[in-house]
Amino acid sequence: MKKLTLAALVGLGLMSGSALAASAWTGGDDQPTNPLSCDATPAAATAKPYDGGVPTNPPDRKGKEITVVDVPKLIGIGYFNATSKGIADAAAELGNVKAKTDGPTKANIDEQITFIDNYITSGVDGILFAANDPVAIAPVLKKALEKGINVVGYDANSTPDARQWFVNQAEFNGIAKALVDSMAAEVGGEGGVAIVTSTFTTPNQARWIAEMAAYAEKCHPKLKWLETVEAQEDNNLSFNQATTLINKHGDELKGIFGMTSVATPASAEAVTQANKCGSVAVVGLATPNAMKPYVEKGCVKSVVLWNPVDLGYAAMQVLRAVADGSLQPGATSVKAGKLGDLQVINGSEILLGAPYVFNKDNIGQFDF
Amino acid sequence: MTASKLLRHETILAVLTVIALAVLASLSDKFFTPENLLNQGRLMAEVGLVALAMTFVIVTGGIDLSVGSILGLTAILLGVFWKNLGLPLPAAIVLALACGTFAGWINGFIITRFGVPPLIATLATLALYRGLAEGISEARSVRGYPEWFFFFGQGEVLGVPFQLWLLGLATVIAAVILGLTPFGRATYAIGANETAARFSGIRVDATKLWIYTAAGFCSALAAVIFVSRVTTTRSDMGTGLELDVITGVVLGGTSIFGGRGTIIGTVLGLILIQALKNGLALSGVKGDGTIVVIGLVLIGAILAGALFDKNRGG
Amino acid sequence: MTAIAASPGRSNLQRFLSGYGQEIVVFLSIIALFVVVGAINPRFLSDTNINSIFAGNAYIAIAAIGMSMIIIAGHIDVSVGALIGVIATIAGTLAVSGYPIWVAWLVPILFSIAVNAGVGALVAYTRIPSIVVTLGMLSILKGGLISLTAGEWITDMPPEFMIAQMRPFGIPAAVYFMVALTILAALFMRYTDFGRSIYAVGGNMEAARAAGINPERTVVGVFALHGLFAGVAGILFATQLQVIQSTVPPNLELTVITASVIGGVSILGGTGTVIGSTLAAILFACIGSALIFLNVSAYWLRAVLGLMILATVLADMARRRRAK
Repeated sequence: MKKLTLAALVGLGLMSGSALAASAWTGGDDQPTNPLSCDATPAAATAKPYDGGVPTNPPDRKGKEITVVDVPKLIGIGYFNATSKGIADAAAELGNVKAKTDGPTKANIDEQITFIDNYITSGVDGILFAANDPVAIAPVLKKALEKGINVVGYDANSTPDARQWFVNQAEFNGIAKALVDSMAAEVGGEGGVAIVTSTFTTPNQARWIAEMAAYAEKCHPKLKWLETVEAQEDNNLSFNQATTLINKHGDELKGIFGMTSVATPASAEAVTQANKCGSVAVVGLATPNAMKPYVEKGCVKSVVLWNPVDLGYAAMQVLRAVADGSLQPGATSVKAGKLGDLQVINGSEILLGAPYVFNKDNIGQFDF
Repeated sequence: MTASKLLRHETILAVLTVIALAVLASLSDKFFTPENLLNQGRLMAEVGLVALAMTFVIVTGGIDLSVGSILGLTAILLGVFWKNLGLPLPAAIVLALACGTFAGWINGFIITRFGVPPLIATLATLALYRGLAEGISEARSVRGYPEWFFFFGQGEVLGVPFQLWLLGLATVIAAVILGLTPFGRATYAIGANETAARFSGIRVDATKLWIYTAAGFCSALAAVIFVSRVTTTRSDMGTGLELDVITGVVLGGTSIFGGRGTIIGTVLGLILIQALKNGLALSGVKGDGTIVVIGLVLIGAILAGALFDKNRGG
Repeated sequence: MTAIAASPGRSNLQRFLSGYGQEIVVFLSIIALFVVVGAINPRFLSDTNINSIFAGNAYIAIAAIGMSMIIIAGHIDVSVGALIGVIATIAGTLAVSGYPIWVAWLVPILFSIAVNAGVGALVAYTRIPSIVVTLGMLSILKGGLISLTAGEWITDMPPEFMIAQMRPFGIPAAVYFMVALTILAALFMRYTDFGRSIYAVGGNMEAARAAGINPERTVVGVFALHGLFAGVAGILFATQLQVIQSTVPPNLELTVITASVIGGVSILGGTGTVIGSTLAAILFACIGSALIFLNVSAYWLRAVLGLMILATVLADMARRRRAK
């Protein structure tokens, strides 16, 4: 008993010490940040030469039927069910695409690589992906390119040379700005905020948190970051973590950021069950269906997202255009079916648009 | 434990594997090509290396659940030694291997010196090593390795992937040790009846210590190959590896109670699982369907083995 | 536990202490934790926080009761996490499809009992090790769940279904379940013939058979019981939030097994109590919360937890050595 207590206390002491050294928001990555301006001035779009990968001797697929596989980070969460639906919608509309979604049941790069590898062997014409890790996925994607397969990413990028195009839902700093501005508006510009994220190793979330920290420091310096907790993609765990945050910080906590489509509704649920609707704001990325109960009750004012169905739809349209040869390196825009013309940014990225803010007035119109 | 009993399960497994290969080949013409088979060999190298050591572990009646965490920890340490500490990459690799091996040694130490049952000891170190990987790396990845490093995971020698050569060599060494040396005989004896083994003069604790250390080494080696294959490090690498390895070893006929098992069985078990995962995917079965099939095959194969082996008590 | 009665000359208190040694250690650790962390951050002791810790993790404790019984009987189940995911999904699906609430609560539990009885029969009559069968079950349940649900979330469940959110007399329903089931299970294990036969089979199967116990039926029975507890855990898990993710909760089986083992159930079979496993599950939940309250760096949480598990295990082994 003594040994246990001693070991525990020593361990705690060591670990707590390292916590004090962190200055930026925990959970952010260490890449350079680029906060947008505090008002509504859009960022200056810098033209970059095309930096995407090139397939080796792709067969002429113009107008022919192609088989496409979509390998998201994981299957079984609402967000990727929505992107999968968008892909299926586009495939149906185009009429000459056979698309299916398949992926790991856990957000695990090891398994995702194996999935992609198998589909390369089975001879698909195109691969759509949302990467669990941008660098680790590169070798297998390059292998696909070498086999003449068209590769387009969406939601979570790989290194640019491993895919031909990446459909970006919104720029990292744009998402960060939308989230932080929404939070600042609700809490009145100052107060303690905490973050519930998936894991610290998820690249998108890490980028967003880093950009949020930079933007908040620049434009809302009175927002005080309290802490970040991990909750994987588990609903119940996210709920428990959010509840712990509420209990720990008490009145000091004015807002919770939910960084995934699982964390946000779970945090809203935690706030609801703790009877803190109205005193703790919940701002985050989420699908409208998951958030409807909370937005309709007024517990959550706004939900930031892009439309993942549109994202999947756009990704499929881009892949078709690439396979047909109508989208070439150096293009400045691409026609994406019912979404119209989408802009090319950063060399080989295609921007879906500005983040969409769901609130009480419009959330009822969506079903994903 | 006569040769005929030993061969019973492995024979069934070999027949099952051949049938499975034939069926899968008929379902997809892309399955039985040299290119695909070699590629699958490359992909199973990591699980294979660890499974070789795990065979020894399970034959002694023990188990090691921490192999996945050791892989993750070694991967992270490799990156840390090279990038943060600035060591030359070869030195970083050797040091990381040493650390992973040491982690295996700690497992063995806890099990032999403190008498903690292997399931519990490695359950605890599974959490500890994974936690260390997360803490040390602070969730950062290390990338940008020099080109030559990628040879281990992505390169070929005489058209065969490098890690497959490594796996082949390791398999031969493991088979020789387990089947033909006193160390191997001691391993079986410990699994069959540990107390009797101790009384007959076998150095039980030393043998076990070696075996768990070897498991750590194999996990560390698998880590180096894996990092080389995906060109980056992550603290969540190797999650779930232990279940894949144990499934392969058990499918191969190694009894979880100890005292029985062969390397050839483990190799067959691994081949069968890899073939199923790959072949089913190629014939259009999605990921979820594949895991159901593997679960059914595992239970079915063991059931078949048990039914043929009615004399063997629990 | 049977060894205690054979040592004459020890007072009742001594016998109680050495028989329940691990449970007492865990209980005292919980108290110590509350005292220490409460001193550092008094909000840790607020009733909302204590409520959250207990209510949010009660399902783990309940699952650990069944797991403890399995381990005492000398077996293990590594598929309990997947099972709970499946149970939750079945329950939620029944609820939103308009079936009566009691159907949505009971049918999944019956399903769980049936499946586990099947696993138990397989283990008992074919002598296949339980780790192998449940490893296979894990794959089958996990893949089957995704195949059938395609990962669609279940929402809009009727409020009367949400049992975990009910609060009779202000205490969450889950806590009532946890306490009641633990006490019932403890009494069952101690004072009924079947309960004692579980210990006997786990301790020495052949000796149990010689004593007139039917080990095969005992094993089937204990797996069925485990199915009952996992079923209740699954229902509570399903009704905690407004949404059911139709996936397998990650790492749940490891948490449940660890809770049982830390609570004093020996993996060698034959000893341990369900009270110990419930206490250990509570301890883990408290530690998880405490680490956040103590500002332990988020990056090191897992490592600290692992270190604590290891320390507990080593301390327990040292204590057993001394007791010998």
